[in-house]
Amino acid sequence: MSKKNELIVLTDVMLITVVVQRGVADQVVQVAVEAGAQGATVFHAHGTGLRQKHLGILGLTVNTEKEILYIVVPAEQADSMFERIFVSAKMDTPGMGILWMTRLDKMSTYVPHDVAARFGVHTERAAG
Amino acid sequence: MAERKLRYGVYLGAVQRHKRQISFAALLEAERLRPKRPPLRAVDLHRLLTPYVSVRFSEQLRAVVPLALMLIGFQALALRTSLLDADSVALGIMAVIIGLMFFMEGVKIGLMPLAENVGFQMPGKTHPAVLLSFSLLLGAAATFAEPAIGALQAAASAISPERAPWLRQLLGPYVHWLVLAVAGGVGLAVSIGMLRTMFGWKLKTMVLLIMPPTLALTAWCAQQPELASIIGLAWDCGAVTTGPVTVPLVLAVGVGVAASTGRSDNPLSGFGIVTLASIFPILAVLSTAIYLTSQGSGAMLPVLPPVADGWYNRTPFAEIISALRAIVPLVLLLVLVQTRLLGQSIRHRNIFVYGIGMAVAGMLLFNLGLTEGLVALGEQAGNNVPWAFSENRETGAPPLYPFALGIGLTLAFAFAIGFGATVAEPALNAMGMTVENLTDGAFRKRMLIHAVAVGVGVGAALGVARILFHLPAWVLLLGGYTIALALTVISREEIVNLAWDSAGVTTGPVTVPLLLALGIGLGEVVGAAEGFGILAMCSVGPIISVLGTGLWIDMKTRRRKRRSKKV
Repeated sequence: MSKKNELIVLTDVMLITVVVQRGVADQVVQVAVEAGAQGATVFHAHGTGLRQKHLGILGLTVNTEKEILYIVVPAEQADSMFERIFVSAKMDTPGMGILWMTRLDKMSTYVPHDVAARFGVHTERAAG
Repeated sequence: MAERKLRYGVYLGAVQRHKRQISFAALLEAERLRPKRPPLRAVDLHRLLTPYVSVRFSEQLRAVVPLALMLIGFQALALRTSLLDADSVALGIMAVIIGLMFFMEGVKIGLMPLAENVGFQMPGKTHPAVLLSFSLLLGAAATFAEPAIGALQAAASAISPERAPWLRQLLGPYVHWLVLAVAGGVGLAVSIGMLRTMFGWKLKTMVLLIMPPTLALTAWCAQQPELASIIGLAWDCGAVTTGPVTVPLVLAVGVGVAASTGRSDNPLSGFGIVTLASIFPILAVLSTAIYLTSQGSGAMLPVLPPVADGWYNRTPFAEIISALRAIVPLVLLLVLVQTRLLGQSIRHRNIFVYGIGMAVAGMLLFNLGLTEGLVALGEQAGNNVPWAFSENRETGAPPLYPFALGIGLTLAFAFAIGFGATVAEPALNAMGMTVENLTDGAFRKRMLIHAVAVGVGVGAALGVARILFHLPAWVLLLGGYTIALALTVISREEIVNLAWDSAGVTTGPVTVPLLLALGIGLGEVVGAAEGFGILAMCSVGPIISVLGTGLWIDMKTRRRKRRSKKV
């Protein structure tokens, strides 16, 4: 059986970070959840991008108030998720935002005991 | 059905986005070599513009349409009259909506950053006396730019020159005096507001000091036959001035001053200026009127019908000139302070120019739509409403309803307009949130909005009743403000700030022309000398209702505390 004081480290995880205009995050989260993401963290931020400056007067239509999303996904789903988000956030239009994906060394969160038990009994580190 | 084989991989390749890896550095390098802006597809333009425009459009739509529908609906359902010149009214209202959208956006991106910068930099860099005179000029210039101020002039034509000669004079040949008096009043209020921020004076004390003399002057004016008709206008001017330009501009400067004097921790530092800006113009207009009448009837200028000769009086040019006249002083003032006093250049110059252009264009459209749309609608409603209880003025048809029911309907209609206009006000929503935080949730946002809305509604009904029954304006004003002052004495400072400011928040650029025109239309039909005063009553109402609600909440929490102590 797994011990109570155990810490399970999950591997093969990717982090997708999305920067969109304020108000768009909800829609991106919805798409990501439909594509299998467990959830997302949204920050409020402020900033301008490269394309926004190039737009000239049209750049005014781009809100400088931004939302940043962190979506943690398994490596297998990451590429398709990346594409879904690109399409749903309409990133092929200048000023709509940016997204990137980074490999995470490790990730850790609550894992139900019975699920953890399925991956084998936790063993104490060899004494001594 | 013919069978066709397709490799799954080929299908996916066609459906999915094609991926290609390019080094980011290489991309930047390639873009640097090509200075031109990338061509935008139609869909890109749609994606960029549609959300931007629709948010701002619907903001104004929500402010205008419910009120307009209420006015039209009441005429259609209760009075069974249809709208005259429906096309031009609809076009006018459309112009008002689009004009307000442009104007607000232009002010936001053109003037606000400048005002904020000046507000933050000036207190540290200049002498307080310079700051005070700047505040004076800023208040005055912002008043010129207030869209609702044009509504006063639009209302002039309906005043009878025989029964209210000096009122007609003030709105006719002396209209520049009137506007200057209002602007001067607001300027004075802003600089006193700055002093208040610097020294931390209490609004309660200030109100108790300023209000009684104002009321006394009003009562004195009411005894003079020449001045009695001015009172309604003077008190309405107070309500006109605190609109969507003055309030945020002055607040931007005020916040900077508060920060530099170390009083920024006071969440109420922004409040109060609105109150002062609605009281001082009353004094200024009354004083101007007293001065003018003291010159005797020799000073009366002939009321000339507007002459339509010369290119500058024709439709598009006259409006362009008045739009420029409204905005240019404010822009000049801010630019001069920024470049000369602070020695800074204007950042993002093309965006600044674009913002000013938008503001001028918006003001132009608003002015074009004001007379045709809002004023026409309000006047028609005012003309038609008395038919509910008295004989139709034109056709001589008998009244639609028995007298009591007709009067009741009319007052209910006035209440509905006041209430509806207030509930939709976005500024009030923002205020409500501040208040909920300030009072630790004791004063709920919904409760504030409803208290203000009921106050405005009752005020509107009282204002209409005053015109219908030929009651003297000063009696109502004196009564209303005496109650308000009495409640002020026993209320806490926070609630006093809140209540007196909520009066100014409610009178936006849509409500003012509609209510002014409604009152003047009503006054014309029932034979009153003038139809001003509805706005003034709409300002007293919320002061009393919010103060009352505040006291009631205080009493409730005190009782609860006492009970919990006993337990």
